This record gives sequence, C-alpha cells and structure tokens, in this order.
Amino acid sequence: MPSPNAVLIISFLLFSTGVAGILIRRNALVILMCAELMLNAANLNFIAFARHSGSVGGQAFALMVMGFAAAEVAVGLAIVVALYRRKATVQVDDINLLKG
Amino acid sequence: MNSALPTSAQWAALMPILFPALAAAVIPLALLDRDAGVQKWIRAGVYAVALFALGASFMFLAELGKQSSQPSYQQLRLDYLAQFTGIFIVVAAALAVLQSWDHFHQEGWVKGETISLLLFSVSGMMVFASTTNLLVLFLGLELFSIPLYALTATLRSRSSSSEGGLKYFITGAVAAACFLMGIVILYGLTGTLDISVMRLQAGTPLADPLFIVGIGLLLVGFLFKVSAVPFHQWTPDVYVASPHPIAGFMSVATKGVAIVALIRAFPGLTAWGPVLGPKVQGVFMLVAVLTLVVANLTALVQTSAKRMLAYSSISHAGYLVLGLVAGTPGALTGMLFYLAIYLAMNMGAFGLFTAFGLVGEKDTYEDLRGLGWKHPLMGLCAALILFSLAGVPPLGGFYGKYMIFKELVATGHVNLAILGVLASLVSMGYYLRFIVALFLQAPTQAQEREATEAPVIQASLARGTVLVGAILVVAGGFMQTVLVDGFAHRAIQGLLGLR
Repeated sequence: MPSPNAVLIISFLLFSTGVAGILIRRNALVILMCAELMLNAANLNFIAFARHSGSVGGQAFALMVMGFAAAEVAVGLAIVVALYRRKATVQVDDINLLKG
Repeated sequence: MNSALPTSAQWAALMPILFPALAAAVIPLALLDRDAGVQKWIRAGVYAVALFALGASFMFLAELGKQSSQPSYQQLRLDYLAQFTGIFIVVAAALAVLQSWDHFHQEGWVKGETISLLLFSVSGMMVFASTTNLLVLFLGLELFSIPLYALTATLRSRSSSSEGGLKYFITGAVAAACFLMGIVILYGLTGTLDISVMRLQAGTPLADPLFIVGIGLLLVGFLFKVSAVPFHQWTPDVYVASPHPIAGFMSVATKGVAIVALIRAFPGLTAWGPVLGPKVQGVFMLVAVLTLVVANLTALVQTSAKRMLAYSSISHAGYLVLGLVAGTPGALTGMLFYLAIYLAMNMGAFGLFTAFGLVGEKDTYEDLRGLGWKHPLMGLCAALILFSLAGVPPLGGFYGKYMIFKELVATGHVNLAILGVLASLVSMGYYLRFIVALFLQAPTQAQEREATEAPVIQASLARGTVLVGAILVVAGGFMQTVLVDGFAHRAIQGLLGLR
C-alpha cells in the first residue's frame, strides 16, 4: 500500500491532466473523457483515504461516484449524438451559434 | 447493518421527495404507446400526473410545517429550512410545468420525457437542500444536474438547443468534479463526510493549506450552481438555448437550492472558526462585488431580452451572496424572503415569453414591440414584475434587497450596501428597456402583418402563471411579514439552533 501522499500526487496529476484536456482539446468526445478523468482522480483519493483511515465511507463514495459518472456520461453522449446529427461534427470550434 | 424498513416517522421525511420521483419514473412507461390519437390523451395525463405529484408533495410539506415536526431519515433531515426549500422548489416546478404545456405546444414539440426529467430534477433538489452529509449532497447535486443537462437540449430539432446542452454539460461536469475533489480533500483531512461535524474540527487542521484548497473547491461547485461571477459564463448561453419555462425553472430553482446549501454549509461567519471564517467572508465579498459589477454592466448592452434576463439572474445571485457576507440571522432570513420573491419574479419574467407566444429565436427586444398594448393584462403584470426585479419600493423585490442591505450596514459593510444600491439603479436601465419595448415602441409593419396571419396564441396557462407571479410580487410588498415571520424566520432560527 503506497503512502497517502503518493496517491494524492498521482490523483492531482490525473486531475490536472483532465483540466488541461478540457481546456486544450477541441473534440467533444475527448472533453467528455477528460471530465471522467477528473472524477476518477477524486475516486482514487477516496479509496486511498478510506484505506488509510480505516473507514468504509470513502469506499462507498467511490462506488457511488462510478454510478454518477456513468449516468453523467450517458446524458453527455446523448447530447453529443444529437448535436452530431444536426451539424455532422463533434469539434467544439464548429459549434458556435451561441455567443458566449 | 440498518436494513429495516423506515418507520412511519421516517417515511414522513421521504414522502415529499418520493412523490415527484415516483411520478417521474412512471411517466416514461406511459409514453410507449405510439398511436397518435391515444398519445394526445397520454400527454394530457402526463401533465396531470406531474401536477398531482407536485401538489401532493406540496400538501405534505405544508402539513409538516403546520404540525411543526421535523422528520429525518438517516442523512436526510427535513428541518424547517428543508421544508421551506421544498415548497419553493415544488411551486417553481409547478409553474414551469404549466408554462411548458403552452410553450411546447407553441413549439410543436410536446414530449412527456421533458416532464419526467423535470420531476427527477425536483427530487434531486430536495435531496440537495435537506442534508449536511457531503455524500448525499453530491448525490442530490448530480440527481438534479443531469436531468437539467438533458432538459436544456430537449428541443432536438434546433441545433442551438443541443449546443447549449453540450456547453452546460461540459461546464457542469467540470464543476461537479471540482466539488467532488473538494469533498475528498476535506474527507481525507477530517475523516468525516458530514459538513456540520467538519465545522467543529475546523480549528485543528487549519494549519494545513490543503484544507483551504478543499473549501475553495467546494465553493467553486456551489458558486457555479449559483452562477456567480467568475463561474457565470455558461448562464446566458444555456438560458437562451433552453425552452423558456425550463430557463425560468433553472434560474429560480437551481440558484435557490444552491443558495440554501450555501446557507447550510456556511451559516454565519463564526461557524468556521476565527481563522477560516474571515477568509470565506472575503471570498464571498469578492464574488459579490464582481458579480454585481460584471452582470449589471453586461446586461445593459444585450439585444436579446432573454439574454438580459439571464444576466439579471446573475446579478440577483450577487445580491444573495451579499447576504452571506453579512451572515447575521437577519440577513439569512432576508435571503430566504428574497428567494421567495425571486421565484415569483423570474418565473413570471420567463413566463412572459410564452404568454406572448414568442417561440424559437424570437427573444429580442424587437420582438416585444407593442405587445404590452396587445395584451393589456400581461403588460401590466410585466411592468409589475420588471419593476420588482429592479427593486422599486412598494414591490416585493425592494423588501428583499432592503433586508439584506440593512444587515450589511448593521455589520459595517456600508460600501457594499452602497454598491448594491448603485447596482439596482443601473439595473433599472435594462428593465426599463424591456418595458419601453412593450409599451412605447410600435410594432413594425412586418410584425403587424405576421401577427394578423399567425394563428391565435394559446397560452392561457402561461398567462395564469405570470398573473400569479405578479400577484405574489405585489403581495410580497404589502404582506411580507407573513412570509418572513411564518416561514423564513423559523427556518433560519431552526438551522442556527437559536430556538
């Protein structure tokens, strides 16, 4: 079992990879994946902290987060598919009807 | 462990959440029938079931309030604050359901799933507002956010709608991930998931800068849902992209529950100890100032009235966060009163678009020209609602702001109170533009021609909701003591344990 600090560093790296991916990549599907990466970074922490402190709360949380992530990505993919049908692209740069 | 069925007292805590959730689960089953003739009746049935579920939930919550009981089930605590919020959400959802009947018929896109998603969102919001456990809080957050992503993109025939949905989804997913990261850091440092227990330990792990990072990430999640600057960029696009009733519901209910959750997590400044308390207050102060300045100035230059309303809803988040800066029980009570009036104002304001029969992209000031004279009653309601949004004295919106500003002055934040008053004055500019378009600008010839050719607008339900909004706004001005003393005051007293 690695020390909690090591896990913390790995999870922060994962988290920053996710944030960077969302900011840099222009493909909606890759952005979706990066959002999942952020959630999983937090998940990793939960399990490490739960192992470290010996409480089960964190592990239960990790299991639930996996469920949330699945539900979230289902809706996200549905929106991407709906958009693809209208615009035939998943590049977010081509999707610019709204101003902001 | 605890596998026994809930007792009857525990059921009481679950019922208001279960009614909308059950209705939401049943509705999609009814939609399987493909026969067009039958479907018309099924749709009417779907709306009836939704209103029935919301009504049942409302009656239940009202009864709980009358008996002054505060049932709880495991991590769900239906205290006075949760009951207040529950009624707030249910009323907003009922108004949204009524408006969406008219709006979706105007758009020619009536689908039962929309209502089902809306009800799921309602039960998620109730969970979100009635817990201090971060696990359940996150469950509530996802349960109300995910249906809202889909609701934004619900008009699949229009690509701007899907685009708004995608934007909302990506920003929302990032905010949720930040929120989750905040939770995990706080959990790692304190070993508990309950934020009220965490608060008690706030004195000890303070030396750890990670604790501040955790609180900060948690705040990002909350402030995103409140749509305060600098986490507001999604708001205008998403509101413009979503159907009018859904935009109204999002602006009211999402902001409302997020503010209530903030009140629960940061009740007063002393709650987080002498070191962290002022830091959190500083963040709120910064956010409130930025929100008021940016939102009001951007709203002035909008050409779309719906976009203007989106920026106006951001600026109202600023006034609400000012209440958190003051942090006294009086200010928190004022915030709840403000939320109740804000519900009437914003559901009314977004309902106006449906009441005037403006569908699709027709949401600019140009499209509103002369409509006030064409529909005199709606014009009057519009004027009342918009003046209340601007905070003109005898109306409800004024008293909401007044209660918050009064506490700000009392706690020594005179500068912020002055900024708030100035922001309200600026906001007068864009609300007046709406009213000017309604009454003082004659419709163009093309619009006149279009109006004579178009079929008569069927929007009696939406007009009813706008009327209700206007009546509530006036009532909030003249009978605010009923609402404040009866509900808001008790909710805050119960939360802070003052009674």
